Amino acid sequence: MIVALLILHGLLAVALLGAITHQTISVWAPMRGAAGSFVGRMRAVPAKSYVNAIVVLYALTALLGGIIYPTYRLSVRIVLEQMQLYVPNGAFELKEHFVALGLGVLPAYWYFWREPQTAEHTRTRAVLTALLAFIVWWGFLVGHVLNNIRGFDL
Amino acid sequence: MITARSLPTFVVTFAVAYAIFYVLSVEYNLALFTYHPALEEFGFLVEQAKDGPAMYWYGWLATSAISAFVLAALTSWLPEGWAKRLWPGWSWAAPVSVMFVFVYILRRFFLR
Repeated sequence: MIVALLILHGLLAVALLGAITHQTISVWAPMRGAAGSFVGRMRAVPAKSYVNAIVVLYALTALLGGIIYPTYRLSVRIVLEQMQLYVPNGAFELKEHFVALGLGVLPAYWYFWREPQTAEHTRTRAVLTALLAFIVWWGFLVGHVLNNIRGFDL
Repeated sequence: MITARSLPTFVVTFAVAYAIFYVLSVEYNLALFTYHPALEEFGFLVEQAKDGPAMYWYGWLATSAISAFVLAALTSWLPEGWAKRLWPGWSWAAPVSVMFVFVYILRRFFLR
């Protein structure tokens, strides 16, 4: 059961990573002309269309992470401490706090992306999006490394 | 009651208050409840580890969310003039600052 939840947590994280990355690129490097290339089409996506999906995916991914967290605490973290793997352990500690802080940002993120989008909130929207993107990327990479830590020869 | 007019005040105050309450909850262990994963038991407020480790993360989230919600709801009743002076950038500046605080708090993991 816990393996299935872990895989589902990972799949939701992949979907969230894709959504937040597309939105961040389209906000920070918007396409001015016609989008012909692969990168150009990424820059040209309608950023606002990702907002609700990102809020729901972030909440669901965090919820699933919270459900499988006790297993990590009992089975993985103790081993990391015994093996004196301080950096992966610390990276996960940061992940847990960053994700928690991201939950507190979600209402503001959702609000500032709502209609009508005023120009005075452009920077707030952009920075909130980048902040969530950083948290999601950090969480994804740390989770990936810890999940596959035996293969990293640490 | 939170109205459409007071929503920006609410969300900005919530983001700021949540970040501050969260780091205070972690640093001073102000968990609303404790989870004992080995026993699959919850306990009210902060409890010492029983059989296996104690988890406070859920309790820190609850403390921060409830406290921030109450504070944000109260500030959303403030006069419109005050609310208009509230810089929306606080919604990201406060969490980013707290993230740096956590990097500092957890530096021992990376400096060994």
